[in-house]
Amino acid sequence: MGWWGDNVPEETLSRDEASRVVRRLFRMLRPQRARIVVATFVLMAQAAVLLAGPLLVRHGIDAGLPNAKHGGDAGALDLAVVIYLVLALVGLVLGRFAIILVARIGEGFLKELRNRLFGHMMSLSLDYFETEKTGKIVARMTSDIDAMQELVSQGLVLFVQNAFVFVGAVVIVLVISWQLALGILVIVPPVYFGSRWFRRVSNKAYLEVRDRISTNLSTLQESLEGVRVVQAFGREDAFTRKFNRTNEDQYHANMHTVRISSKYFPVIEYAGVAGTAVIIGYGGWLTTRGVVTVGTVAAFVLWLNNLFEPINQLSQLYNTVQSSAAALAKIFGVLDTRPTVRQRQGAFDLPKSGAVDVEHVTFAYGPNEPVLHDVSLHIGDGERLALVGPTGAGKSTLAKLIARFYDPVDGSVRVGGVDLRDVEFVSLRRRVIVVPQEGFLFAGSLRDNVRVGRPEATDADVEEALRVLGLLERFAAFPEGLETEVRERGSRLSAGERQLVSLARAALADPSVLILDEATSNLDPGTEHAVERALEHLMHGRTVVVVAHRLSTAARADRIGVVFDGRLAELGTHDELVARDAHYAELYRAWSTHQATPEVA
Amino acid sequence: MDDEAETKQQKTARKEAEQLEGAQTRKQGWRLMREAVGAHPHLMILGILAGLVWAIARVSVPLLAGAAIDHGIAKGRTGLTLTLTAAIVAVGAVQAIGTGLRRYAAFGLAWRVETDIRMKLVAHLQRLHFAFHDQAQTGQLMAYANTDIQQINNVVLLVPLTIASTIQMIAVAVILLLRSPGLALFALGLLPLLNFSAARFNHRMYPVGMKLQQELSDVSGVVEESVTGVRVVKGFGVERMQRARLSSEADSVYDRSMDQARLRANFMPLIDLLPTLGLVGILWYGGHQVLQHHLTVGDIVSANLFVLMLIWPLRMIGMLVGQLPRSAAAAGRINSILATDPAIDDAPNAHALPDGPGAVRFERVTFGYGRGPAVLDGLDLVIEGGEAVALVGATASGKTTVARLLPRFYDVHAGHVRIDGADVRGVRLNEVRRSVGLVFEDTFLFSDSVRNNIAFADPEAPTEAVVRAAKLAGADEFVRDLPEGYDTIIGEHGYSLSGGQRQRIAIARAVLADPRILILDDATSSVDPTKEHEIRAALAEVMQGRTTIIIAHRPATIALADRVVLIDEGKVVADGTHERLLATSPRYREVLARAAVETQAGVVDDEELLDLPGVGD
Ligand SMILES: Nc1ncnc2c1ncn2[C@@H]1O[C@H](COP(=O)(O)OP(=O)(O)OP(=O)(O)O)[C@@H](O)[C@H]1O
Ligand SMILES: Nc1ncnc2c1ncn2[C@@H]1O[C@H](COP(=O)(O)OP(=O)(O)OP(=O)(O)O)[C@@H](O)[C@H]1O
Ligand SMILES: [Mg+2]
Ligand SMILES: [Mg+2]
Repeated sequence: MGWWGDNVPEETLSRDEASRVVRRLFRMLRPQRARIVVATFVLMAQAAVLLAGPLLVRHGIDAGLPNAKHGGDAGALDLAVVIYLVLALVGLVLGRFAIILVARIGEGFLKELRNRLFGHMMSLSLDYFETEKTGKIVARMTSDIDAMQELVSQGLVLFVQNAFVFVGAVVIVLVISWQLALGILVIVPPVYFGSRWFRRVSNKAYLEVRDRISTNLSTLQESLEGVRVVQAFGREDAFTRKFNRTNEDQYHANMHTVRISSKYFPVIEYAGVAGTAVIIGYGGWLTTRGVVTVGTVAAFVLWLNNLFEPINQLSQLYNTVQSSAAALAKIFGVLDTRPTVRQRQGAFDLPKSGAVDVEHVTFAYGPNEPVLHDVSLHIGDGERLALVGPTGAGKSTLAKLIARFYDPVDGSVRVGGVDLRDVEFVSLRRRVIVVPQEGFLFAGSLRDNVRVGRPEATDADVEEALRVLGLLERFAAFPEGLETEVRERGSRLSAGERQLVSLARAALADPSVLILDEATSNLDPGTEHAVERALEHLMHGRTVVVVAHRLSTAARADRIGVVFDGRLAELGTHDELVARDAHYAELYRAWSTHQATPEVA
Repeated sequence: MDDEAETKQQKTARKEAEQLEGAQTRKQGWRLMREAVGAHPHLMILGILAGLVWAIARVSVPLLAGAAIDHGIAKGRTGLTLTLTAAIVAVGAVQAIGTGLRRYAAFGLAWRVETDIRMKLVAHLQRLHFAFHDQAQTGQLMAYANTDIQQINNVVLLVPLTIASTIQMIAVAVILLLRSPGLALFALGLLPLLNFSAARFNHRMYPVGMKLQQELSDVSGVVEESVTGVRVVKGFGVERMQRARLSSEADSVYDRSMDQARLRANFMPLIDLLPTLGLVGILWYGGHQVLQHHLTVGDIVSANLFVLMLIWPLRMIGMLVGQLPRSAAAAGRINSILATDPAIDDAPNAHALPDGPGAVRFERVTFGYGRGPAVLDGLDLVIEGGEAVALVGATASGKTTVARLLPRFYDVHAGHVRIDGADVRGVRLNEVRRSVGLVFEDTFLFSDSVRNNIAFADPEAPTEAVVRAAKLAGADEFVRDLPEGYDTIIGEHGYSLSGGQRQRIAIARAVLADPRILILDDATSSVDPTKEHEIRAALAEVMQGRTTIIIAHRPATIALADRVVLIDEGKVVADGTHERLLATSPRYREVLARAAVETQAGVVDDEELLDLPGVGD
């Protein structure tokens, strides 16, 4: 349809995809079946009431008012009026009922969708979060679901009700006078072709809108998270400009949909008026030939409204429906993303032993070059192993593999003799715990943040964990004690304090394998020393893997593994490795040069 | 004690205050929307004019239809019927064009206003002080720019549409009144009821709308945080806990939405009832008038058509009334941010930063965050231009705080922070910020190419400058090994790099900015010892000709400095070379205790450790 002046884009939600989305939608609505049935009846009743109105008007006019056949009958007129009035009141009650019922269904669905989508996101593997931008993920949970909110809260009732009214009107019109009904057919072609065009074109336009919204939100998210860096370098204006671009992109995407619908709706509205004209002209002609009565023509004008108003409204709603469908498609896209690290069928609990076996592990992030090459390492149950090595050598990667954040490309990781791929996730996360370097805190109290280590822990447990690490006094001294709000990312605390909270989490948990990835790097050596010693006591008998750049930390481990360029270059005790005079010895020399301070008293 | 009476009094007082605040917020919300809409009068005017044309055309259709029935069909004058039919077709075309334009104007205005307000909000957020961002949650702020602004859009959209609808309603009323006052009375008599119930509805809806917006932004907050903190979530396997948090937020959203639905259920059907009652009234009154030969059937039909024309405008008004409170709530929330002035801003008579070597002076500086305890308590510190000083102190002693005061991220409570003699509060903010380059202790990189991250301070910087900065930060080597070298896009937070690699990019970023004063806040904590001496050599070059403040715990890094300053309990407690402090300050030895002890006693040190099995044998 070139005369619309728009080139029709090819890439839209294909019919197949669209019907899949719909089928899935129905599957998700299945638990609400009973409610849906009731609501359907209520809406049908409401539609019937609405359609009965013109019938009564017709009856009132034809039986009550004077015409060629009789001189009028006030009683018949009054009866029609009374029935109409009663029906109107019934309609009021039904309407009220319908809104609440449909809201329950719709809001219930959105609630379910929020929970399910978020639950699925949380089950996705780390690589998903590393490749998708935070802002986009958040957009799925917020703006996309909000897009459906409008449909649910206002649109759905109108949609279903109008559909019923439409079907009812078609039936009545055909029954009352098929001759006149045929006349209305003239409005079908423009409505049909217009709608087809509209659906095709707007489909893509709305998907585009969802994309632009999430891009815009990611820019925003990043500029908020990085706001301190932005201000530190005085780049506010540059960022504002950058946001302006994505913001305007979003505007233009939206305006594209506006232009499309501004072409479509006049056609629909015009069809309605044309229908009226036809009924009058053609109906007038039919009355003169005695085929229909004047009352019928009058009623037809009303029914035409019933017929055309739903079309009009359905197409108005089509906007909302389209953006909801686009949003839903995006959401299903996430739901269809399979975690790359999955629990297999028949997975079992991890045994309590903390022996770790890394066997010929090769690993690469995505399609990149491998960062670990054929690494093999045995860590005995209860052993304390340090991993050292230059930046980017692969220490953190190795640590993450032991916790099964990723699966190795080649080789296997075993804990307690069991391949991690056969292990049930909950037990794995309970037994193998990683404390990452960035002490990420959630908005909430200090206490809640420590509790992350073991969600079912009591207040006393939390305090005990802090006490064991010698931190209780420090945090209890805060103005509101352990109830102090640490705020987003723990911005209320110093970097060291954040690490202490993370360590307290580890102390609260009850792992068989504890992995500390530079978990004490921001602490002053005095505090670090004290906390580490306490932690050693606590973790006595459990396997501990420490990644550290401070060799003082490393040197106290049972054994030290040196990771060099993605390979395990050396493994042994401190003394052995120093004696060996290779990588570690060099590292150690570099380290101790500056430690040497002869004036120490 | 009259405790109880007092609490009661307090309660009412609080309630009143809350109500007042609510009204205040709402009023400001209105103003924000009015101003945003007012900025685009042409769209508004187009919308109203198109609406007017549309309304007139639309109203003419039933007039023509009525005339056709009465004078054409009823009297069997086919010619007239056809003429009038043709007129309907023509008027219909005008109506259709009106519809198109009116939609275009209304939606265009709504999207424009949405885009403008979002821009304004985001630009403002970029300028708000650190203390604001300390309190705020990213996810919630995102909800402001997303969910809340959407609400404003919803209402702006309805305004021109509703104005046109109102015009149409008035036209209908006038026509009906002119033709038959009695019919008009029965058809429209109940409409004023709408006004009354709308006001009541509006009043009840506002607090619900406010709460709903809050719940939605809480959802956004939980999601954003769970995603950024996903390593911790996975590390401790607390997915279930986060799910429970979200689930409780989702429950609240559901509850508030249902509150809203119940209110709507009281109001919306009423809106549909009014025209139906009009139809009933017309049938009764009109019918009897026809029986008494005062009116014709055609009059009834056209009156019916007129009333039908009211259904959609009435719904529109109903939707507007339903939307207004929630939008006012949303706009009020946004306005509350826009009304927050940046606490740190140029003084009215701010002057340029005087030239100088980057001399730093803290004079009796007292500072605490918000209303919290003083973190710095009369801190005095003098750093000569070009000097390199190490700030050392225990965890939470206030080192980072000192680093934050220098570029004026916060203002001191008492005392002065001076750069080259000028109090930073009197200098233009962007000059202060430009003169200080800070490497933050927690590295934040943007999801952009390595080059753009390094050239953050100066996107125009030539490649050589970028490479030089990377070399000085010890980053060049691994950057070249990345799949696309300097053009490699690193993920958000730079998560596709290792911890040490990220830190080096951050150092390169500060080096490229070429500041007078360079602050490295624990910026080498993830850098390994072998590299450290390379970086040391490079940093020595960087430090040439500028003042450097190094916050560090490692002796190797501390050794880069000419002088060490020990901070404790908000003051400088010791000052001198590393060796001297080790010799003279017990507190210094305590803070660095292990490092010192270890060097003395080999590596595996103190006797306490010896009783731990597996260690020391
Ligand atoms: N998510 C990721 N995607 C792609 N590459 C990654 C990712 N994480 C790390 N890398 C790359 O893998 C290599 C090893 O990184 P890893 O984090 O294991 O190093 P590391 O030994 O812990 O270093 P550091 O001491 O700096 O923490 C680095 O070259 C890094 O750039
Ligand atoms: N934004 C903030 N709001 C409130 N209190 C804060 C804030 N930032 C830091 N504090 C508090 O101020 C004190 C000093 O913090 P600061 O970050 O300056 O310590 P630091 O010396 O840098 O410690 P670290 O070595 O752990 O980084 C701490 O007690 C901390 O809890
Ligand atoms: Mg690492
Ligand atoms: Mg700090």
